[in-house]
Amino acid sequence: MHLGFLVDLHLCMGCKGCEIACKVENEVPLSTWRLRVKYVDVGVFPETKRTFTPLRCNHCANAPCERICPVSALHYIENGIVNIDKERCIGCAGCVMACPYGAIYIDPETQTADKCTYCAHRIASSLMPACVVACPVEANIFGDLDDPASNISRYIMENQGNVQVRKPEKGTDPKHYYVGGGNITLNPLASKRVEGYDLFGKLTTKMPVGGHH
Amino acid sequence: MHEVALDATHAIVTLDVGLPGIVWGWIIVMNMWAKSIGTGVIFMLFYLLKKYPTEAGYLRFPLTLVSIITIHVFLFFTVIDLHQIFRFWHIFFHPHWTSAITIGSFLATAFVGMIFLLAYLSFIKKDNEAFDKVLTWTAILAIPVTLYTAALMAQSTARELWQMPTEAAQMILAATLAGSATTLLMGGKLPYEAKRDLAIILGASAFGAFLLYMSELVFGPMKAEEVAATLDFITGHGPMTTWFWIGQVFAFIVPMVLVTLSVQNKSTGLLTLASVSAIAGLWVVKWVWLVIPQLLSMS
Repeated sequence: MHLGFLVDLHLCMGCKGCEIACKVENEVPLSTWRLRVKYVDVGVFPETKRTFTPLRCNHCANAPCERICPVSALHYIENGIVNIDKERCIGCAGCVMACPYGAIYIDPETQTADKCTYCAHRIASSLMPACVVACPVEANIFGDLDDPASNISRYIMENQGNVQVRKPEKGTDPKHYYVGGGNITLNPLASKRVEGYDLFGKLTTKMPVGGHH
Repeated sequence: MHEVALDATHAIVTLDVGLPGIVWGWIIVMNMWAKSIGTGVIFMLFYLLKKYPTEAGYLRFPLTLVSIITIHVFLFFTVIDLHQIFRFWHIFFHPHWTSAITIGSFLATAFVGMIFLLAYLSFIKKDNEAFDKVLTWTAILAIPVTLYTAALMAQSTARELWQMPTEAAQMILAATLAGSATTLLMGGKLPYEAKRDLAIILGASAFGAFLLYMSELVFGPMKAEEVAATLDFITGHGPMTTWFWIGQVFAFIVPMVLVTLSVQNKSTGLLTLASVSAIAGLWVVKWVWLVIPQLLSMS
């Protein structure tokens, strides 16, 4: 079994339901994200459109984070998930530096590395990841890549020629796919960043919501 | 952020999480800088004792002490950079051998043992013969201790700028630069020939390192768009351009000029200034090179 993820960007409408479900399920602190949806606006008014790209750990088959971790806190489990043992992590941030997808962060509460685990704890109980359940348009497709009859395998088969991964040149063999993606959605260098885009990144866990006590 | 976005698409990120910021900052710079001195002086001591065994003999303990102090500065900053500093022991009890951090930790630990043995042999036992034998092995061990940080940077797949073997060459040159500069500052009683040799090592290291940085600056963008975007931070009106050139001038250009003048005039007066400039400039060079890839968004 090798679990993988696929997001059909034709379907995603940027509701951020997956983001919130992930936050709630995994108790992800403010200012950090295991999963986030990036908005990129393309074109000039009135010929404009907005693209939405959910970004999460790619659970690479050749994961640089797993390789650089000095204590095996990041490790593979038998279903292909790159999992993290937060009790073992020493917080060296080597994985943060190694991940080409910016998917790993230092949890401000535990002071250890953290990232999407494809909700490994839910999968162990035969449940789907929280983001899959929350998606109102079934843009998130999750399943066993080794099983040709699984939803994800069939989806990849049906969309041959239009399935992409992020940064394939890094040789990480990501197990997170996109349908309908392109340079603008998947390449961070293909779009400009203007002031204000990182609005939610400025919140910190120590900031009381609603003002000071 | 510096991008290579097409004007035709007019693509603008309107919502994303903030950059994680500088994850490896000045603390890691202290780590690399201090380690360069700590292993560099061992290389220089080995060279001096081979070529000037009598005249350089008095440096056995002082340079060993410098190595002990700077290696402990390196270890201190390595540990305090961990977000879970009290779990440092996990590296030794749960080692993951594909990681340059693990290998480096074991090598550095062995190196600490060796330099303490050198201190014992020179300061307590006063056995120069045994010291010189142990020094040979210590100098050999100092090579991978110097290089492992380059391996760690190369393992940082996300940072296209840091490649092997360029980083390895830079690490060795940083060690010979910082080692020769420190030894020049400590070796006031050395004969002129020994100082000239150290000056040439300093000048050649500065030249080699400068050449590599300039090659990266000019030819790096031809390799990958990520490298081009990273180097935008230190070219033109980039936010780190001034710091980059301050580092290059103090670490490499000033020492090269002063060493050339010093050797031509057979005068050692300028070497103190060259050494101080090299050691201070190296910190800035390391800082800029460490920080710029982290300014690039990964998403």
